[in-house]
Amino acid sequence: MNNPAFSLPEGPDDNRVVESLFGDELVAADLALANVSPILRHLLGNDDHALFSDRIVAQVRAQIEDLARQLAMSLETALGHPDPREAANQTAPQLAAAFIDSPPILAHAHALALEAQLAERLATRLSLDPVLSPLLQALVASPDPNTAATAMALLAAQARFVQAQRRGELPLAELPGDLLHTALLILRAHGTGGDPARDRIAGVLETAIRSNFDEAANRLGLLHRLVGGMGGGALAALDVGHAGVALFVTALGLGAGLERDAAVLATSEAQLPRLALALLASGAKPAAVEQQFFAFHPEVTLPEGFETLRADRAAALLAGSGN
Amino acid sequence: MAPGAVIVARGRCEGSDVLAVADEALAALQRACGGAVPGQLAIPALLELTRKAWHYRMKLARVFQAQDGDNAVSAWVEIVPDDDGLTLALSNWRVTPLATATAADAVASEADEGAMLAQVADLHARLDARQAVLAIGRSNAPLEALGAAMRDGFGRPWTDFVTIPGVAHRQPMHWRLIDGAEVSVDDLAARWQARLVPVPGDGAAAGFDLYLIPVAIEAVPAGDVPATANHAVPEALDGVLGRDLAPALRQPITRIIANAETIRTRLAGPLADEYANYAADIAEAARHLLGLVEDLADLDAIEAPGFAPVPDAIDLADAARRAAGILGVRASERGITVEVPGESEAMAAVGEWRRVLQVLLNLLGNALRYAPEGSQVHLTVARVGERAVVTVADQGAGLSPQQQAKVFDKFERLGRSGDGGSGLGLYISRRLARAMGGDLKVASAPGEGARFTLELPQ
Repeated sequence: MNNPAFSLPEGPDDNRVVESLFGDELVAADLALANVSPILRHLLGNDDHALFSDRIVAQVRAQIEDLARQLAMSLETALGHPDPREAANQTAPQLAAAFIDSPPILAHAHALALEAQLAERLATRLSLDPVLSPLLQALVASPDPNTAATAMALLAAQARFVQAQRRGELPLAELPGDLLHTALLILRAHGTGGDPARDRIAGVLETAIRSNFDEAANRLGLLHRLVGGMGGGALAALDVGHAGVALFVTALGLGAGLERDAAVLATSEAQLPRLALALLASGAKPAAVEQQFFAFHPEVTLPEGFETLRADRAAALLAGSGN
Repeated sequence: MAPGAVIVARGRCEGSDVLAVADEALAALQRACGGAVPGQLAIPALLELTRKAWHYRMKLARVFQAQDGDNAVSAWVEIVPDDDGLTLALSNWRVTPLATATAADAVASEADEGAMLAQVADLHARLDARQAVLAIGRSNAPLEALGAAMRDGFGRPWTDFVTIPGVAHRQPMHWRLIDGAEVSVDDLAARWQARLVPVPGDGAAAGFDLYLIPVAIEAVPAGDVPATANHAVPEALDGVLGRDLAPALRQPITRIIANAETIRTRLAGPLADEYANYAADIAEAARHLLGLVEDLADLDAIEAPGFAPVPDAIDLADAARRAAGILGVRASERGITVEVPGESEAMAAVGEWRRVLQVLLNLLGNALRYAPEGSQVHLTVARVGERAVVTVADQGAGLSPQQQAKVFDKFERLGRSGDGGSGLGLYISRRLARAMGGDLKVASAPGEGARFTLELPQ
């Protein structure tokens, strides 16, 4: 689907070149056609509309294109291009295509889009502020100055996140360290077109981006530090109505041993058992699990007897499912 | 540095892997994971992060989790790379006791094992968490000198007093790696197997029980074996397993168990759960194999022509109480009550103490394995004519006359499989009983439980 527009060789010197070019393109086109039906069937037939809704897909694409544009812009600016924006418009699409081919980056953008959408849904249904939840409010007012400072920083970061998601943006500095590393490797492989001068500048740019990056200061870092610092009190963050989506999924991930992105996915419609198990594994009482289900999926009733499942068994089931 | 972090410990790495300087909290965790300061970073989850930060050349900040033996530790770490290394700042340090079912099981089975080892060891010492000698419990004849030396040098690692052939690693190593190793002492020709059993305690300060078991314990004393074997077993195979093969097999198998346990507990680094489970399977299978080797070695020893248990004057009631004590944990796991002769009861008999205990452990172990949960097992002693008898009676499914006829046969499993038995236990037990001038009998009816009776001369 991302075939670059092919160009015919100039000059009539060799028909076979043209033939083989058409042949190759035809194979690629066949592949694309072969994929149309399963993809369409998947998009139309999927039970969980929320997971692959048009809006989510558009949101993922927008974030990834934004990511590519930031890197392309920085590179062109560093190269001293007279019109870096115009130059970046030329190079960014190729970079974006490479990012889409990277499963971890794609999955992260998807999880962020779902998180933003969930926050918006709960804002409508439960009047839950997507930025300032009751728990965050309490943490900001904490008598411990360190907790209060972290919570304030998170408040600002969360406001920026909501804003960025509305605009379909994903700032480089907000990536987890591993993904920034992956993105920079992709930039190294695709962004410079093999020109040694560009390579050198790109190297300098990459070093600068790496040394400016501070995982502790971005939103995900602040969330993890705040929830990690709550210790046993992290149970309070397992109530989405109290903690808000961002703190809730962070606490769920830390408590159940899931990646935060996986914890976000667990709140979606097709992942009900995972949500129940993750909540139990994090130490939530069965009544609390039911309450959370009511918040996320008011139409769903939990199977009878689920309250007999122990936390360690829930964790084992989760771990065994190869999430 | 992000706002709002109370640093509990700082550290400095040279490159990505070597912890050069560390504050106490970090240093203590590093030591609990088997490392030193300065030394290779031994906390797996932290090492993964430092390597990433070094490789990415980025400031990383994460929650990491580790274990210091008895506790799960989680902390927030911020890692800042520079040209020569990494600066670590740790905050939000949380320690919670490990209380998963599997950990409890492991402790239970290890305690079980400790009671057994205490009976057969030539030397017993109590070690602290760093494997330094705290006290000497008991030392038998050949190791009295070693016991005295350890008593004088208490506070030093036990490995200072013995030689572990073929191990050049800095001592003492993590206990799982050293458990089961063969050691030699000064210039004594004999070898001992070192067994370390962790002592469950509160917090990280638990220690170990060290037992030195004679390696040759299952083998027949060389002098007792006639130079020319005159029975049906081909000469090439005669005693090969017991004398030569078992000691040779024991070490690699214990190494398999130790390494599999290392993988299972993720000592060497983080690992997906399914692989940790494979490691648990490997360890389990190797334990079965070890049990089988021990049984076969026993079999060789007792089938050797010169086999003669030492006739000691022993108390069968005491043996019954000890056997019940050793398997008490397993019994309570299955909810089975074991009734033993009262403290005042005594029943004099003649037999080799260790062998009688071995028979009783086998009988009681079978009863605990096959009797229904929540039932009772009775151990009683009595005098029948010229003989002292001890009876193990369970409330299990019982045995039909046909099964009773076969149950003492070699490799007889009565159709059971997959429970770790070798089919040799009862065969060996009866051979031992007869070698001591007694016998082992069974009385049972289907549905009414089984009564195994060990008879010994008085």
